Amino acid sequence: MSKKNKVPEVDIVVDEQAGVIREVKPEKTRSKKGHERRVNTSIYVILVIMSIIWLAPFVFLVFQSFRSYALESGGMVDYLLPKHWSLDNYRFLFDGSNFFPWCGKALITCGIAAIGQCALLTLAQKKLSNMDSSDKKGRLVWLLCTLAVGLVVFLALAAAVQGMAFAGNVGKICIVVALYLIVGYIMARMFTKQDDRLLRQIPGYVADEDSSPLKKLLSLCLEFLAMDLILLCIVSPMVTSQYLRWYGNTLTIALFVAVLQTIIVLSVSYTLSRLRFKGRKLIMNVVLVLGLFPGFLTMITLYFLLKQLGMTGAGAVPGLILIYVASSGMGYYISKGFFDTIPKSLDESARIDGATRFQVFLKIIMPLAKPIVIYTILMAFMGPWGDYVFASYVAFGNVPNYNVAVGLYQWVNVNDYQGYFTRFCAGGVLVAVPITALFLALQKYYVEGVTGGAVKG
Amino acid sequence: MASVTLEHVKKIYDNKVTAVHDFNLEIKDKEFVVFVGPSGCGKSTTLRMLAGLEDISEGTLKIGDRVVNDVEPKDRDIAMVFQNYALYPHITVYENMAFSLRLRKMDNEEIHRRVCQAAEILGITEYLGRKPKALSGGQRQRVAIGRAIVRDPAVFLMDEPLSNLDAKLRNQMRAEIIMLRKRVDTTFIYVTHDQTEAMTLGDRIVVMKDGYIMQVGSPQEVFDTPKNLFVAGFIGSPQMNFLKAKLVKEGSGYSVELLGVKIPLNADQNAALANNKVGTQEITLGVRPEHTSVLFDGKQNAIECSINVNEMMGSELHLHLSTVNNDSIIVRLPTVDLTQEQRKQLSYGNKMYITFPAKVMHLFDPKTEKNLIYG
Ligand SMILES: Nc1ncnc2c1ncn2[C@@H]1O[C@H](COP(=O)(O)OP(=O)(O)OP(=O)(O)O)[C@@H](O)[C@H]1O
Ligand SMILES: [Mg+2]
Repeated sequence: MSKKNKVPEVDIVVDEQAGVIREVKPEKTRSKKGHERRVNTSIYVILVIMSIIWLAPFVFLVFQSFRSYALESGGMVDYLLPKHWSLDNYRFLFDGSNFFPWCGKALITCGIAAIGQCALLTLAQKKLSNMDSSDKKGRLVWLLCTLAVGLVVFLALAAAVQGMAFAGNVGKICIVVALYLIVGYIMARMFTKQDDRLLRQIPGYVADEDSSPLKKLLSLCLEFLAMDLILLCIVSPMVTSQYLRWYGNTLTIALFVAVLQTIIVLSVSYTLSRLRFKGRKLIMNVVLVLGLFPGFLTMITLYFLLKQLGMTGAGAVPGLILIYVASSGMGYYISKGFFDTIPKSLDESARIDGATRFQVFLKIIMPLAKPIVIYTILMAFMGPWGDYVFASYVAFGNVPNYNVAVGLYQWVNVNDYQGYFTRFCAGGVLVAVPITALFLALQKYYVEGVTGGAVKG
Repeated sequence: MASVTLEHVKKIYDNKVTAVHDFNLEIKDKEFVVFVGPSGCGKSTTLRMLAGLEDISEGTLKIGDRVVNDVEPKDRDIAMVFQNYALYPHITVYENMAFSLRLRKMDNEEIHRRVCQAAEILGITEYLGRKPKALSGGQRQRVAIGRAIVRDPAVFLMDEPLSNLDAKLRNQMRAEIIMLRKRVDTTFIYVTHDQTEAMTLGDRIVVMKDGYIMQVGSPQEVFDTPKNLFVAGFIGSPQMNFLKAKLVKEGSGYSVELLGVKIPLNADQNAALANNKVGTQEITLGVRPEHTSVLFDGKQNAIECSINVNEMMGSELHLHLSTVNNDSIIVRLPTVDLTQEQRKQLSYGNKMYITFPAKVMHLFDPKTEKNLIYG
């Protein structure tokens, strides 16, 4: 009878006789599987309920965004599926802009230029492989010519297809081309495994010698596209709708912050993790305590500071970048924690092998800390992307300098709640697109662990 | 290819721990020097100061004729093999080995030549395309050594490179390091806590304890003429036996009295003791296990012991004995010339007699722990 206490209560309450125990014994062997199944089922139920809770608003948002504000009501309604499916709301977001033609022309220009450049490079490579490898000057001249031809072709195409006005903009164009050369050079240095160091110096030649032509083409195309976009913004600005303007503001802020904040956070983390200097502990503690205060406590002070610098209202975009980037060093905890787990002997070994501190950081720590680098970039991008608090008061009253969150809120709040709700939903859906794309693209780096085999574990 | 000179080098860590005291050593070009000592004696600290990974608190360090106290590790032209390998996990074995050469902006063909050559020496050619994760401990250790030898450094530092390997692999790698040393003709500084490694590898051994150098000398010197009790006990396996005894001066000669047995010293020892002005005193007598002989018949002038443990090692027996004073003694006895009869005698609890000649005795002052003859 002593077993009675361990048996599930239900069975015993039903029957106090000896039979109960006999009943229980087969139940016990079966119960392991049954128990597992029950646990699994309940986990699934909970997950389904939770995902419904999470997903419902989003699904609602997506459906609403396809409801025509012209044919039905533009406000809140008590049914989920729109009666007239339409793209009215999205059309409204791009109203009055030449966004799509602009994109199409850019794609054509870049595509043709990339194909041309790719062919030229392949030709150059063939030529170079026949050339005497000690004739460095000859090789360099060859490569530079290839590069120059590619650039000229690109610019000519831009002028012809997109009608870019070069006449008064020579200075600006030179700046952009220089930027392109520098960025291309850095990219090529960082990402190619090219053996020929001369070929590596070629900006634009991002893909490996042995990677597929498609990959080469794509990477070239992307580079041209980047240059093209910058050129277009300067030389023939795109005509934008209000929404696109906000979107552009947000994107500009988020991209700048993502780059700057990532650099700052990773540098600070590496420094705190690897270097020992006076006051290191003190700095970490002070930052920890300061971090306990919510950021918007400093709102008023920041506003007046920015106002002194002329970075409110019309100057909201640089102002906001400054705010987001300024305090970013404080978010070092997570990446410092990650760096701490990378064995110090790797640093030491690299330094003995001839690396400077910076080279250690770039060539050893960065590749090993890939997940945390990605995490930092994502966080740095998402902070300003969805921010409302700072953006709303820094740009206060200056509509063209709003970011998306503030702008959309203004539609439903200031404008017309009943009329603008579906348009608000459409705007919201487009806001989710880059974030989703970023996450999906970077997801695989999140998971992989790369430190295996470094040191005896 | 450079000499290394340490003059009054001292290391005080931030927490005020003095890990190395007044370290003086001159390492000749192409010499193989081994730092050996128990855990925590400051071997790694010294090596890391040589490498530039730790600041030098006091003193000067020279590589060649250049004072390198404040020179960055990368500019010292040294290579180092770490105890835990420290391979770069994100790149292949080939790139691991080429890393330092690429930083030096060397030609690709030259890099390829050097890496392949090093891989050949170490027998890792077939693993060049793998990541370190996919290698066994021994293979990783080879890669770590390979990464150091491609550089052709002036000084080659190794911090307990074999201690993570199992016993068999360790013996094999030890032999390989000896061969490597013949091929790679440069200055080696090797750290270990294993006296066998130290004895087999080193041209010279530096025995350390608590941050002090105890003795510097060739393996033979350190083994035959330990300067003090610590070195005597540390070098040699099984450990040297230490017994309480008395040194008696009689006229111009000396003799050792031990458990009622009197052993006169030989002429060289007498001369050295007289030279050192040693009188009659208590001593700690040191005798190595392999220098002790067991007497099966006759017990004249021999020390009586009883057997505690009899360890059969195959080619030899290790007998753990205790004297009447409860001092314990270990004796190594080759098994080849033992008769069946004699083996039977060597079982637990039996009485037996041991003896040793004067020339194998080491005499230490119990207070200063110095060797009275060579100290
Ligand atoms: N970073 C450090 N900070 C403070 N004290 C240290 C530090 N590193 C080592 N020590 C101390 O310095 C002394 C010497 O350490 P070291 O690492 O040189 O010993 P070791 O001879 O290499 O020992 P092992 O054989 O265990 O590696 C030890 O007492 C150790 O506690
Ligand atoms: Mg050590």
